[in-house]
Amino acid sequence: MAKKEVSLTREYLKGLWDENPVLISLLGLCPTLAVTNSAVNGIAMALATTFVLVSSSLLISSMRNFIPHQVRIAGYILIIATFVTVADRFMAAFSPEISKALGPYVPLIVVNCIILGRQEAFSSKHGIGRSLLDSLGMGTGFLLVLFVLGSIREILGSGSILNFQILGDWFNPWMVMILPPGAFLTLGLLIGLSNWWNDRRANA
Amino acid sequence: MSTSAKMIIVLTLIATLSGGILASWDSFTAPRIEQHRLEALKEAISEVLPEYDHYDEKTVDGRTFYTGKTAKGQTVGIAFQAKGSGFQGEISMMVGVTPDFSKITGLSILAQVETPGLGSKIVSDPTNKQNPDWFTEQFQGVTPEPEITVVKNQKPSKSTQIQAITGATISSKSVVKILNNTIEQAKAEYAKEVKQVS
Amino acid sequence: MNLLLIFISAAIVNNFVLSYFLGICPFVGVSKQVSSAVSMGMAVTFVMTITAAVTWLIYHLILVPFHVVILEYVAFILVIASLVQLVEMFIRKISKPLYDTLGIYLPLITTNCAILGLALFAVLREYGFIESLVYGVGAGAGFTLALVIMAGIREELELANVPKAFKGAGITMIVAGSLALAFMGFAGLISI
Repeated sequence: MAKKEVSLTREYLKGLWDENPVLISLLGLCPTLAVTNSAVNGIAMALATTFVLVSSSLLISSMRNFIPHQVRIAGYILIIATFVTVADRFMAAFSPEISKALGPYVPLIVVNCIILGRQEAFSSKHGIGRSLLDSLGMGTGFLLVLFVLGSIREILGSGSILNFQILGDWFNPWMVMILPPGAFLTLGLLIGLSNWWNDRRANA
Repeated sequence: MSTSAKMIIVLTLIATLSGGILASWDSFTAPRIEQHRLEALKEAISEVLPEYDHYDEKTVDGRTFYTGKTAKGQTVGIAFQAKGSGFQGEISMMVGVTPDFSKITGLSILAQVETPGLGSKIVSDPTNKQNPDWFTEQFQGVTPEPEITVVKNQKPSKSTQIQAITGATISSKSVVKILNNTIEQAKAEYAKEVKQVS
Repeated sequence: MNLLLIFISAAIVNNFVLSYFLGICPFVGVSKQVSSAVSMGMAVTFVMTITAAVTWLIYHLILVPFHVVILEYVAFILVIASLVQLVEMFIRKISKPLYDTLGIYLPLITTNCAILGLALFAVLREYGFIESLVYGVGAGAGFTLALVIMAGIREELELANVPKAFKGAGITMIVAGSLALAFMGFAGLISI
């Protein structure tokens, strides 16, 4: 049975919605909830994660024929942890403010299921080109979710977006939005909404 | 090549690659990170001490004292870190005292996770438009001996009193408790150090 | 006294799942039945305690003295992966039924953010060896608590009329939000 060749654009786009790592696959929830108290933090985390995702995918994809099956997880973890350290140190050196805001959640990218998941499911089985597109797509999907979640929580919780105050003094911020309960509730609503939308599309 | 040998070789290769990348990255980023740390430290010290030319660092019993001195070497104040539990988590701050530990010269909150909008006012109070830093500023000139006390809904009447933040009494009291414990201990440690030197 | 503080703080006041968002993945997947939640919780607590001890030793006896702190994340995650492997083999040897109950959950503990998070936090807070151990036990207890409460609620939800779009992860997150709100009430429990 011949495998249907997925177009290159499709390889990238699927990560944005149809196979969105957070909303559909429910991966990487820890950082999604933790650092989306503001849009900037969400974007920074997504960029760091995408960096690790893309670098690891490229390296693992190019080595895929050399890594023995039994030690592949250990190998992936080693590679991923290395790139996470690079990203973490980079932020600490060049943007200490953001590094402090994201705190210990940057090293937690190591156990972000999205990255390990993608290596296992895709990069270890496809060439460099496709792996690049796949990881960029997943990263972009992740970025979109974090940006939306971060913006909602920031607007309602601080009255600002991207650190620009847009709601005046008349607005009494919903403190809960920048606290854990707000994160859970907003994500729950987003997931529910996307499921509802996908259902509608499928039944239309 | 046997599978075991291949496994070992590949893992060693990856480990070496990883080690190499990290070692060089470390030497590339470490200086900048240290620079940021020193800058933040200097800023915190400057906030709590009166004007000084330079500061000396000395560690006694695990506590580091930053002694601000004039160009001629005269001590203007001593700064050190204090930390303890607040309402939600740990509060860490930098406190400055006069050379004889008799008065506080300044207080700066370094890190806290208090309730946003309430306890977080110990850092900055947006509801006080004229002076958002009023909470920490009121500690300037306060006498820590025998101990600092907290008053609510009224201005302090004694030099050992400070006013709590309305709706954040526990956070306010935590700051005071941490200071009371730390200043007393720090004074003893510093005296020990001075005795050693002279 | 300080140790009790650390334990209660990790387990309740600053619950790993509901305050720090660690360990969410198994939270959504495993918490459908109270029995599996308890098993998972115990396994995680066990791994957490050992991890706390081993990572502390590695950090303070190897990484720091040899100035290779940059290897922290690499070292920690490899330790965790190996520990989980060892725990898996150990449980399989001493109690096959327990091993079968936990099934797939065991290897998944490796990517549980709570374990790595625990190791990193203990280092950040500059805890001593015993303090790290207590922290590990406390964090595990808190994780188990959150997981069991969630499982209990979800068992009831099976009988409720949840809108289709929210079934599964959606409603779990919303319930978690309510739980997190409730747990916020514990703030101030252990201060003055």
